[in-house]
Amino acid sequence: MTSKGTKGGDSTRDEVIAGEYVLGVLSAEDRRKVESRLATDRAFAAMVDRWQSNLSSFDEAYEPIAPPKSTYAAIEKRLFAETALTPARQPRGLWNSIGFWRGFSLASVAGIAGLLAFGNGNVMTPRGTRAPLVAEMKGKDAPIDLVAHYDATSGTLDVTPVAAGADDQKSLELWLVKPDGKTVSLGVLPQTGEGSLTVSPDLRGGMTNGATLAVSVEPFGGSPTGVATGPVILVGAMAQ
Amino acid sequence: MSDLSTADSRPFAAKTTRQGAGLHMTMQTGRVRSMTDAETISDLIGRVALKDRKAFSTLYQTTSPKLFAICMRILRDRNEAEEALQEVYVKIWQRADRFATGSATPIAWLAAIARNHAIDVIRARKPVGDTIDEAYDLADSAPTPEMQVELRAEGRRIDTCMERLGEDRATAVRRAYVEGLSYQELADLFSVPLNTMRTWLRRSLLKLRECMEQ
Repeated sequence: MTSKGTKGGDSTRDEVIAGEYVLGVLSAEDRRKVESRLATDRAFAAMVDRWQSNLSSFDEAYEPIAPPKSTYAAIEKRLFAETALTPARQPRGLWNSIGFWRGFSLASVAGIAGLLAFGNGNVMTPRGTRAPLVAEMKGKDAPIDLVAHYDATSGTLDVTPVAAGADDQKSLELWLVKPDGKTVSLGVLPQTGEGSLTVSPDLRGGMTNGATLAVSVEPFGGSPTGVATGPVILVGAMAQ
Repeated sequence: MSDLSTADSRPFAAKTTRQGAGLHMTMQTGRVRSMTDAETISDLIGRVALKDRKAFSTLYQTTSPKLFAICMRILRDRNEAEEALQEVYVKIWQRADRFATGSATPIAWLAAIARNHAIDVIRARKPVGDTIDEAYDLADSAPTPEMQVELRAEGRRIDTCMERLGEDRATAVRRAYVEGLSYQELADLFSVPLNTMRTWLRRSLLKLRECMEQ
C-alpha cells in the first residue's frame, strides 16, 4: 500500500487524508491543497463531510466560555461599518446623525463620572496594542453601557452607547410612534450604535415631519414580542 | 404614552430626552415567546443567509460561548481567541447561505467553521511539515478479527469505535481534534517518534472508518 497507491485514486489514502484534515493535524499548505480539492472532487468532499459528522461529537469537550462583551460590537463594525459610512443612502442622515449620538452621549455624560467613581478596577479595560483601545464603561443598574473607542493615530475618542444589563446583554430598539399612539418597530440598533437601517416600505408613510421616534431597552436581539417590553430611554420628533 | 405623541417638532437629533428607567411603553399586546426557544439555530442560520442582522445577533448570543471555547482551547491565548472569534462570525455571516441541512447539525457546522479557522491560525503560527505528498504507510490497515465482531449497539457508535482503538490511540485522536495538536506535539506528549505517531493516527483513522461503517 505504501508505494503502490495510485496517486489520486487510492481511496484508503484519501480516507486517511480526509480524516487528518478534519482532525487538524495537516500543515497549512496541505490544508489548502485539501480545500482546493474539496471544491472539485465530490467523492473526496463526501469523505471529509463524513469525518466531520463522525467526529463532531467530540465538540462536547468544549465547555462554553462567554466571550468579552466588546467582541460583538467589533464584529458588527467589521461587517457593517462600510454601510454605516455611506450617508448618501440616507439623505436625512437620521440614523447616522452625530447629533443624535452626541445627544445620547451628553445625556449620559453626567452618569459617566459617577460610573467611574464607583466602578471597580475593571471599569476601564484597555485591550491589545495593535487593535484600537476600547473601554467598556458600565454602572450598576444603568440601562446602558458606554463603549469608548480610542484611535491613537487620529487621537479621536468615540463614545457610543451599548445597551446592557447586569446578567444578560440587551439591545436598543428603535420605534416609530404613530399618531394613534401605537408603536411599530423600525429595527434593532447595531450594538456599536453605528449603522443605517432601511425603513420597510409599508412604514415609510409614517415617516413624516413630526413623527415620533423612541428607543427602548430590549432583550438582546430585540423585543421578543414585537412591542416594546423594556424602558423607553429616548424620545424625539422628526423635523426638516 | 401621551408624552411620546406630544413631543414637539424640533429635530430629532436635538430633541433627545432621557427618561426614567421605570417608564414603560404601553402598546398593543403581543404574544410573548422566547426567541431562542421558538427558533432553532438552523432557522437563525437561514435568516442570516438572507442578511437578517437581528437573526445574526441572536445567533451570536446563542452560539458564541461554544465557538469562543473552541478558539480558546485551540489557540490557548485570549486575545488571539477574541480575534479569531471575530473572524469566525464574519465567515458565518458570509457563508450562511452555504449551510445545507442534512449532513451536519447546525451547531456542528458552526463549530467546524470555528475549528477550521482556529487550526489555520495555529498552523500559521507554528508551522508543521507537509505530508500529504509523501507516501503513507498504511500497511496493516485491514480489519482485524476483533473488529469483525458484531458491535454492541449500546452508546454512540463513535464511542464504541474509540474504545476499540485502545486508550492511548483514542486519546491521541481525541486530543488532536479537540486541542488542534500537531503530529509533533502528539509525539512529544506520548514520547514516541514523530513517524510512529503518524502511523498510529493514520491507522486509527482507518480503524475508526471501518468500525463506523459496521
